[in-house]
Amino acid sequence: MHISDGILEPEWIFFWYAISILFIALGLRIINKRIKADPVYLPRIALIGAVVFVISVWHIPVPVTGSSSHPVGTPFASIIIGPFAAVVISSIALFFQAFIAHGGLTTIGANTFSMGIAGAFGGYFVYRLLKNISPLWISAGMAGLAGSMLTYMTTALQLALSLNPGNVIYYWKLYSLGFIPTQLPLAFAEFAFTAYVIKYISETKGMENIQSGCTLDRFTITALMLMVSIISIIAIGAYIGYPGGTNMAGIDSTVEAMAAPAASPGGIGVRLMSVLGEPLGFALVGITGGLFTGYFWSELRRKN
Amino acid sequence: MLEWLTTDPLNGIIITITFFISVIIGRYLRMKRAAPGNKGKLVDPRIKILFLFILIISITLMKHWYFPTGITVICTLFALKSKIFQNFSRKMIFPVILAFFIVVIQGLTYGTNKINYGIPLYSEGLDSGFLIFARVIAAASMGILLLSNTPENEITETMRWYRVPGTMLDISSLMSRYIKAFSTEAKKMKWAQESRCGFSKRSGFSNKMHDVASITGALITRALVRAELVYRAMLSRGWKHDRSFVSHQPLDHNDLLMGFVFASGIMILLGIDRML
Repeated sequence: MHISDGILEPEWIFFWYAISILFIALGLRIINKRIKADPVYLPRIALIGAVVFVISVWHIPVPVTGSSSHPVGTPFASIIIGPFAAVVISSIALFFQAFIAHGGLTTIGANTFSMGIAGAFGGYFVYRLLKNISPLWISAGMAGLAGSMLTYMTTALQLALSLNPGNVIYYWKLYSLGFIPTQLPLAFAEFAFTAYVIKYISETKGMENIQSGCTLDRFTITALMLMVSIISIIAIGAYIGYPGGTNMAGIDSTVEAMAAPAASPGGIGVRLMSVLGEPLGFALVGITGGLFTGYFWSELRRKN
Repeated sequence: MLEWLTTDPLNGIIITITFFISVIIGRYLRMKRAAPGNKGKLVDPRIKILFLFILIISITLMKHWYFPTGITVICTLFALKSKIFQNFSRKMIFPVILAFFIVVIQGLTYGTNKINYGIPLYSEGLDSGFLIFARVIAAASMGILLLSNTPENEITETMRWYRVPGTMLDISSLMSRYIKAFSTEAKKMKWAQESRCGFSKRSGFSNKMHDVASITGALITRALVRAELVYRAMLSRGWKHDRSFVSHQPLDHNDLLMGFVFASGIMILLGIDRML
């Protein structure tokens, strides 16, 4: 969902424009270099730009909600033409979309940042990360899912920064939760769309950026399925709880009372959280725990 | 009863003079517009874009909901008069949904003064939410009204005047052509697929996604080949990217005057909003 005109405060309009222009300038430099080497690169990126425009206004069926919505398209574009070129074409697509009141003229900077920069770079990063350890459709699909989620989380952050500067983290979470009923199914639709299309293109026309991946082992499949299931349960629980008046308190108090009743207030965990802030603190804990478990998994199983 | 005549006459004189001069100017403008052979002058797209940008920024700076609401009402009346109301209202759906979402979130969470209408709402949140709602609707209606009667390629060429890099404009102009061709071709392929039992209501999500992907994939692969061939043909006929085919005329005095009037009007409106 793009931010419309009239929502962002002027200072944020110019801030997001400044950041996006930087990325667009870098993207244009790369595109110009490529055009010099291969002139046919120009219609190729324009064509992918048209695809991004069309699929981002093309409604596709979304399960759960029973309605239809549109994918972001930039993770798909970044896989084919690279993330910097994807930033440039997404800004142009957003400019055209302003004509149909999808987004706006003053919010092109902010929307380019969420859709073009966060969506394309996030999706591309995930694609590169999974490309060598998973089949092509999984890496492409995960790029679509991550790109879509990142786009909407960035949009939520932009709204929180501009509308509620006094309590950004709380409102970021709140806007993200507000997007969930439509955007979570949409992210899965984006997964399916990107996976299917990239697989189709790679099977019918070999493209330089798309390489076939490898098969997933049982461990990876189980881990991915667990991740998706747990995220869905948490998101649905939080969303159901919020209208019920839990005020997004989460499960902090339950965890504190049941899992760590004797936790010291001066302990390393509590101090880390106060220094980093909760989201970063939890991310750090997740990364450390995940790396440790993954690294020693085989050894732990063998011992058992 | 007539004591108002005996007190300070300044206000009365001012209102009388301004009213009658405006009546004369209004009648003159109407007669000029209705004169035979007058097709009406379109606002230069360069002025339009600048005006729109300044107006939207000003709308976001407004502190009272009634000014943006007034702009929305004026735009809606224009849309009705220009017989584009259906298109106008269809395009307004998306901004209205987003604005409504913000009103709900702000009303439910922002502020300290609780009002109970069955569900707990905050008065500050509702105020701020409605202000944002009014701003979004005003900005969107202005944008739709101004951009709906300007062709995309005209605005793309206008961007060259604003010193937007040539590569970006070349991509834009190619994109705008491809978008039209793509949409038409996608529709045709979808109909063809539907006639062959594709997109069936009975088929599940996976099958529908497979149908969407096969159309998109086939379109992209075919279009890539075709676009490359056409572009090579364009190059062989001497076409060079980054070359402008439209030489912009300098802005004439009327356009500049109109831009000045627009900008002054916006500033006055913003000033009044801030003073209230």
